Amino acid sequence: MHISKLQLFNFKNHESLNLELIPGVNILTGNNGVGKTNCLDAVHCLSNGKSYFTSLDSQLIKHGQDFFTIKAAVGNAIDTQDTTEILLQFDKGKKTIKKNGKNYPRLSDHIGFIQTVMITPYDIELVLGNSDERRRFMDLLISQLNTEYLHHLMVYRKAVEQRNSLLKAWSGRNMDDDLLESFDQKLIPSATLIHQIRYSITQEIIPIFKRIYAALASTDELVEINYSSPLHENAMQDLLKLNRSNDLFAERTTAGPHKDDWVFELQGNPLRKFGSQGQIKSFVIALKIAQYRFFQEKLGKTPILLLDDIFEKIDESRAQRLMELVESEGFGQILITDTHPERVEKHLSQLNGEHNHRSVG
Amino acid sequence: MEFSSKIVSDAVEALSGFPGIGRRTALRLVMYLLNRPEMEVAKLAESLIKLKTDLHLCTFCGNVSDARVCDICNNSSRSNGILCVVEDFSDLMAIESTRQFSGRYHVLGGLISPMDGVGPDDLSISSLVQRVENESITEVVMALSATIEGDTTLFYIGKKLKSLPVKMSCIARGISVGGEIEYADEVTLGRSILQRTEYNL
Repeated sequence: MHISKLQLFNFKNHESLNLELIPGVNILTGNNGVGKTNCLDAVHCLSNGKSYFTSLDSQLIKHGQDFFTIKAAVGNAIDTQDTTEILLQFDKGKKTIKKNGKNYPRLSDHIGFIQTVMITPYDIELVLGNSDERRRFMDLLISQLNTEYLHHLMVYRKAVEQRNSLLKAWSGRNMDDDLLESFDQKLIPSATLIHQIRYSITQEIIPIFKRIYAALASTDELVEINYSSPLHENAMQDLLKLNRSNDLFAERTTAGPHKDDWVFELQGNPLRKFGSQGQIKSFVIALKIAQYRFFQEKLGKTPILLLDDIFEKIDESRAQRLMELVESEGFGQILITDTHPERVEKHLSQLNGEHNHRSVG
Repeated sequence: MEFSSKIVSDAVEALSGFPGIGRRTALRLVMYLLNRPEMEVAKLAESLIKLKTDLHLCTFCGNVSDARVCDICNNSSRSNGILCVVEDFSDLMAIESTRQFSGRYHVLGGLISPMDGVGPDDLSISSLVQRVENESITEVVMALSATIEGDTTLFYIGKKLKSLPVKMSCIARGISVGGEIEYADEVTLGRSILQRTEYNL
């Protein structure tokens, strides 16, 4: 699946933009601020129904306008005659997605039709930011593969929220044990399942990640991902018991999968403290490409790869190996943005495939 | 919206506070009422007032009733030892209209939800325990919504009834009648598989 035509109206800084794209590598070049990243974000919106950068759809409208549309012709790799038109429209505070002119009953029915993996400079937050960032990344990744996981995640979050309200409401009084237990028993099965699935998916993705990092860095740098959770040692039931007095004192649930983290290591040391900017960036790129490969293996679908400003902060040889990697067999459509047309051309000139170079702005 | 009459404005204001009714719909309702005979409007007003003055909650089950004891609790043939616990009287009406339940009810008046400030003491849980103790109840059927609040309330009541000699059951959850498996959501379907029932010819 690939996008053959992308049309934007009043989307961010684009009043009207038409882009013809090819199924292989597409390069969007132009100076800072012309809206290259916004083109990638538009594709992300079409795929996920929301922007990569903001959850407020109104912020996506061009300044001074009152609506935006993103339209795309989606081509089928096997049957070139078979194209689907997807139209995302945001008008008067209402977002609709149409497939071949027909509205989806629910936006969520569309999610999954176009798969994307986006890599942007902001992704270094995965390494440098707090554990929320890593949980969000993993939760999103797993949810796309396993709907049961998403259900349990929602049950767990709501049950923890209710339990926290309960702990607050009973502040200073003797807790009604039966009442607290009523919430405990509701969150235990979900917590247990969330932990199990996170553990097994992490184990599956680590070898894929290591292989990609090695291909990218071409050194024998040792990388590791450690899933850290108190549930490795204790069942959720026991964890709640152990932390009962803590919870009563803090008036919130202090232990559980909502505190899990993934520790990234380089040569046995924490990456966030010891990694260089280039190493951190390589790590994140490898992680995202591992996600891409994982989707391919598990869902049998080839996502569209969106690479935003990928060559900043990584050295020339890593950039070259990255291009070799994404041009290798099995990668579908790729959109790359860069400020230096000659830099991308240089990397691509050594490769075989066909490229489509477009300047934006 | 600007009105030339304060009386119209007050009526629109009052009606637009109703769930699902905005100011435009409220104005339509006001226009409609203005065109009806005075008798009819007076009758409407009276029926609304009576909701607050003459309506009772049944002293046994908490159902809405014109008398102190509702028709269901007054009906001796429905005293079969089975009690159905529901969240509110609209759920009671839903079950009643199935004509499949011949016992009596117990209306909780809500579900436990600390986020909304609702605890067990705000619901008629202790009166439920008393009824089970005093009314020779053999089975309590829990008919609560399949939500986190419903499940939590179910568990809490289960704890309270555990020491009493009564059977507790909860309504089956799964594929809807006439529903196609293909279109069932995965969680419901998964649960239906786990809680499958024996098929008898």
